[in-house]
Amino acid sequence: MKKKIAGLLSLCLAVVLGAVVLTGCGAGFDPEKPIAVVVRETASGTRGAFMEIIGLTGKDDPTGVITAPGTPQVLAEVRGNPQAIAYESLGYVTSEVKKLKINGVEATVANIINNTYPIARPLSVVYLPATLDNPLFAAFHTFLLSSEAQVVIRDMGYVDVNNANATAYAKPPLSGGTINISGSTTVQPLMDVLAEMFEDLHSGVTVVVAGGGSGTGRTQAQNGTSNFGMISNEFETGGTTEGLEFTMVGGDGIAVIVNTKNTYDNLTLAQLKNIYDRDAENRITKWADLA
Amino acid sequence: MIRPFYRFIRAREKLMKVLFLLSSVFAVLALLVIFLFLMMRGIPSIANIGFFRFVFGTRWSVSDPNNQSFGILPMIVGSIYVTALATLIGVTIGLFTAVFLYKFCPKKIAKGVRQLINLLAGIPSVVYGLFGVMVIVPFLRNNVSSNGMGHGVLAASIILAIMILPTIVSITLDALHAAPEHYYEGALALGASKERAVFGVMLPSAKSGVFAAVVLAVGRAIGETMAVIMVIGGSPEMPNGSLFQSIRTLTANIALGAMEATGSILDAMIATGVILFVFTLFINVGFNLIKNKKKKPNKKKKPDKEEEATDEVG
Repeated sequence: MKKKIAGLLSLCLAVVLGAVVLTGCGAGFDPEKPIAVVVRETASGTRGAFMEIIGLTGKDDPTGVITAPGTPQVLAEVRGNPQAIAYESLGYVTSEVKKLKINGVEATVANIINNTYPIARPLSVVYLPATLDNPLFAAFHTFLLSSEAQVVIRDMGYVDVNNANATAYAKPPLSGGTINISGSTTVQPLMDVLAEMFEDLHSGVTVVVAGGGSGTGRTQAQNGTSNFGMISNEFETGGTTEGLEFTMVGGDGIAVIVNTKNTYDNLTLAQLKNIYDRDAENRITKWADLA
Repeated sequence: MIRPFYRFIRAREKLMKVLFLLSSVFAVLALLVIFLFLMMRGIPSIANIGFFRFVFGTRWSVSDPNNQSFGILPMIVGSIYVTALATLIGVTIGLFTAVFLYKFCPKKIAKGVRQLINLLAGIPSVVYGLFGVMVIVPFLRNNVSSNGMGHGVLAASIILAIMILPTIVSITLDALHAAPEHYYEGALALGASKERAVFGVMLPSAKSGVFAAVVLAVGRAIGETMAVIMVIGGSPEMPNGSLFQSIRTLTANIALGAMEATGSILDAMIATGVILFVFTLFINVGFNLIKNKKKKPNKKKKPDKEEEATDEVG
């Protein structure tokens, strides 16, 4: 009886130990093995932005992907799977995974601000030059670039643009009034928070934030419906933006991440597209295809 | 003086009666409201998509707002596939475990092991999912998988098999203990070995209990969500037979989309819920049918079994 119990126990122990050993070993990076493509669920905002920037708007995910239901799951998968590739907002990326350079440019806040990292988009406000003559609107404009606002922008997982020379917000005396803001739904949640902060600073001031998309933001700023328009894509002068000025208040960068054992450091945007495009003619399915 | 007091007691009695009634009505009401919600939102949505295009459509594509397609056949097949595989693994292991604990294991150990297996039932499913992602998936990826994918059908099936083990073991064991002991003794007296007596006589006489265990396990497996979405991959593809294919179950389809979905996509999620509800309804009805049938045919069949055993041994 005692022998039996001991036997059973040692059998259990052997199985557990064996499993642990087998789980650990053989976990190296092998370029000949398929790329484990990690994606987010369809409704995810990160997914939407990523697919839009690499030019796959409205496309379904490729077959055989690993769908991670949230940011922690994405990071966990990439941390544990040597074959994995994934995308994640720059603010959430930890040092336990490796960021790939895109077109030779590293995903850093600096490279997003100087516009060289391609998978990023500036978050800006656009306005008519005359808008800033009004002390209320000028105060709000100053507030957006102040250290208080930039800290919030960073805390919400976006890239802060003005971190080096941001100064504390010097509160001017304001008699109240209403600021109308509309545009990009990407910037909207951020602007909601900033608007609330501004309202708390100045009693009597109301900030109305509405969505509508970046296009709406431009036209409404132009025709005066809104005092500020929010845009989450590149600002191009001329055409629909005639007469408008813009101020970049933040950036939204998406890093492409792989396991630390992965030997690749760089991807071109075209290669990235061929990994994530289910209909690509020369779809890249294993790491060795990159060479 | 006594009468008002008596009246007070009567009133209190009545009040408590109403309270208990309300409590019991609450459960029924909850079921009714859930059912109504599913039907009121789900049926129009299914009608909108078209029943056949919904249930037999093979393409689930919601990325492009102008070209959406809501076919859930891959998820229906996926659910059945994963559940079947999990049941196969779970029932095989569970049945042998129950048999071992029934007659072949020292009584002291049996008690402890049974407690431990029951403990499995209390582990939250997200913990099973974590275990799957951290242990099962890397293990499969590094040692078993042919295509470098640890996620997929097999990982989900293994996790589900572990999750349904307690159900199978405890119900089967109860059924074995409920079967008359003298059958076993009779079989032994006729010269059957211990193994033969258990597998040839006791297990068949506990047949309906075993079936009930299987049906209940299937119900649990098909409804499991969290543990499944963490290890199954989640591509809405038709299962092609590969054990390491990333697929999606009905529950995963709802869980991966319902949080942030809006408009027609949300409607399609609720419609998926209706189909899942119908599935579990069938399983529950099946379980009850088996359970109610249990009493009668058992008595009839038992003599047969004994004769059989006698024949073979004689």
